[in-house]
Amino acid sequence: MNKIFPQLISAGAIIFIAIFAQYLTPFDPYEQNLARALTPPDSINLLGTDRYGRDILSRVIIGSQTTILSALALLAVISIFGSLIGAVCGFKGGKLDTFLMRLSDVFLAFPQMVFAIAAAGALGGGLFNAALALALIGWTKYARISRSLTLTIRKMPYIDAAKLAGTSSFGILINHVLPNIAGPILVTAALDIGTIIMELAGLSFLGLGAMPPTAEWGAMMNNGRSMLQTASWVILAPGFAIFLTVAIFNLLGDALRDVLDVKNR
Amino acid sequence: MKKFLAAMTSVGILISGCGSDNSTAEDKTTFTYGTVAYGVAMENAGTNPHESYSGWSTIRYGIGETLFKFNEHMELEPWIAESFAQIDDYTVKIKVKDNVTFSNGKKVDGEAVKKCLEHLIVNHDRAPHDLKISGIAADGQIVTITSTEKVPALLNYLSDPYGCIIDVDAGFEDKIVVGTGPYRAVKVTDTQIDLVRNENYWGAVKPKLEKIIVRSITDGDTLTMAMQNGELDAVQGLPYSSLKLFDNDKFKISQVDTSRVYQAAFNFDTPELQDLNVRRAISMAIDKENFTKVLLDGNGTAAVGPFPANLSFGDNAVHAAPYDLDGAKNLLTESGWIDTDGDGYVDKDGKNLELRYLTYTSRQELPLLAEAAQANLKKIGVKLNVNATDNYKTFLRDGDYDIFSKAIVTAPTGDAEYYFTSHIVSGAVDNAGHYNSAEISRLENELHNTFGAANRSALAIQMSQQILDDCALFYASHLKMSFVMKNNVAGFYAHPSDYYEITAELEKK
Repeated sequence: MNKIFPQLISAGAIIFIAIFAQYLTPFDPYEQNLARALTPPDSINLLGTDRYGRDILSRVIIGSQTTILSALALLAVISIFGSLIGAVCGFKGGKLDTFLMRLSDVFLAFPQMVFAIAAAGALGGGLFNAALALALIGWTKYARISRSLTLTIRKMPYIDAAKLAGTSSFGILINHVLPNIAGPILVTAALDIGTIIMELAGLSFLGLGAMPPTAEWGAMMNNGRSMLQTASWVILAPGFAIFLTVAIFNLLGDALRDVLDVKNR
Repeated sequence: MKKFLAAMTSVGILISGCGSDNSTAEDKTTFTYGTVAYGVAMENAGTNPHESYSGWSTIRYGIGETLFKFNEHMELEPWIAESFAQIDDYTVKIKVKDNVTFSNGKKVDGEAVKKCLEHLIVNHDRAPHDLKISGIAADGQIVTITSTEKVPALLNYLSDPYGCIIDVDAGFEDKIVVGTGPYRAVKVTDTQIDLVRNENYWGAVKPKLEKIIVRSITDGDTLTMAMQNGELDAVQGLPYSSLKLFDNDKFKISQVDTSRVYQAAFNFDTPELQDLNVRRAISMAIDKENFTKVLLDGNGTAAVGPFPANLSFGDNAVHAAPYDLDGAKNLLTESGWIDTDGDGYVDKDGKNLELRYLTYTSRQELPLLAEAAQANLKKIGVKLNVNATDNYKTFLRDGDYDIFSKAIVTAPTGDAEYYFTSHIVSGAVDNAGHYNSAEISRLENELHNTFGAANRSALAIQMSQQILDDCALFYASHLKMSFVMKNNVAGFYAHPSDYYEITAELEKK
């Protein structure tokens, strides 16, 4: 447990900032003050201001809410939904299994980001549509993992015992299958947080995610792109926030894997 | 120590490999030009002036020339034509210069001009509606044009880039045309035009460069870096924030005010916007000065009406409601819009004043204006939901907007009528706000039948003022156009028309 403690604390701190962001910002992140536009970091605006004179520190803090909480919500949806589909397919088999797995093959045939860009573009942009685009292709990984785990569990003696005891298929799935596949799914999800944050920020960077004036790290980087050489703080602050957050969640995922993976015990 | 030396050597090799090769002498006969303004998205890919907006490319890159051209005050001067005579309200006689030749050596006479204009009105989408030509006759160097109705701005329209005189007998293969300009195209793609010197150029000043490459680079940062590392000799369309990188001895900047304006049209189908007080309040809450000074980095002029001050019917002749937040709030209160629930937004009958602001991103300044307007209007309690999308035409078609903001060159031919007929009169193709004014219709009818620059200018002023009095649109800023070039480039100047770029004077010293 000691191995995972620092990562848990760091990730917890980031999630705490994201949840209570509106109470932590020193200034209104959406208040424009053109008289202080593009002010370098100083004692008033610790991370400087953007081209509208908005405080970058406040926007990075409030942006954590948009970026991290959206990523976590998206991850929760695709991991739960994908795992359920995989578990049902693995447990029931038959035509439903064949159909859903071929469908997942179709989605897996596309590179994830390319598919997400195309889908988000077709859906018309916006943070919700960007998340939807990522969800469309993201569930397949979880469906695959949970299906293969379910196939193994299905042959276990305690499943036969449950069947003999008259437990319904739904009951077996909920009480015996899902608890036993939760560990690997959790590790996969933890390792995925960083990727999802990067992808959501990537879509916003391309103008397919958060719309102005929403503070979102990818969109903030895009807005500051043309100022990389003249006012680099505008792009460096959200860039560093993405780097730090992704690094922390990736380390957390690694640590979780070490703790939960039976082979490493 | 050996390891350290090996590492340092490797780093040295890497660094030398990454650097640009400055050892060779610069080629002074080839000019490489990067621009954001050429491409399929701008509807000007190709050099055939009889196709959409490709004429802008024909004239911009020195391939074609028109009968008349505009000076820096946007007044007409002869170019291929020597003189003209207005025979009556429907007939104009134009004398073509005797010494003009196409780049293939063929002489430009009345017959060649007639063939070109006939091909234009058969093939172009806008030209026949502008020119309203009923017949063209050629006799030696004289061309006589007859119109179906009065077209007082006929010569202005003939000076539109679509009016480039080309040799139609030479064909249009591979998007290449034969014009009269100082350079001729040898290869044209959707992203690049290769030009060589026109050895038969008729002008007094002969083209000095052997080869010109025009490259379409639509990403502002790529353009900036290509200019910085010396890949390009000149660029057009740099992001404003990048201009200061070139404010040094190695580069030169040429800037000019153009008639390109950032405007926003109120949708008269939106019930809330049918109230003049609401439209006026919104217009009064837009901080144009700071938008221009800060967000455009001073690369523009805060606008009053549709036309810039350098035109006789421009901003110096009209007036609009000033920036006044308190006044704007009072107007809203007068119309019953008051923040009763304390949420920061004014409401009436339990509904907030919330508007959909539609714009697009391919003009980099428009999203900036949208965000600035959003913050400005929040101060008077109006909520603006910005939709900045390049799929804006779908929203326009479906009517999913309350305010539509765009950038438009209002006087490309130095005359105001084009703007009114395309954007303002009831039923005009680009009248996004569905503005319908009986007074505007009356004035437009009068303008359409009025000859003489002074009289037309007076009418244009009246029409602009009517638009501003009705608050049918608000005008934020007039764009300043900028060329950045290496300091050895000469004869390359930004022109208020927005479409005279490469000329015979261009050279590398």
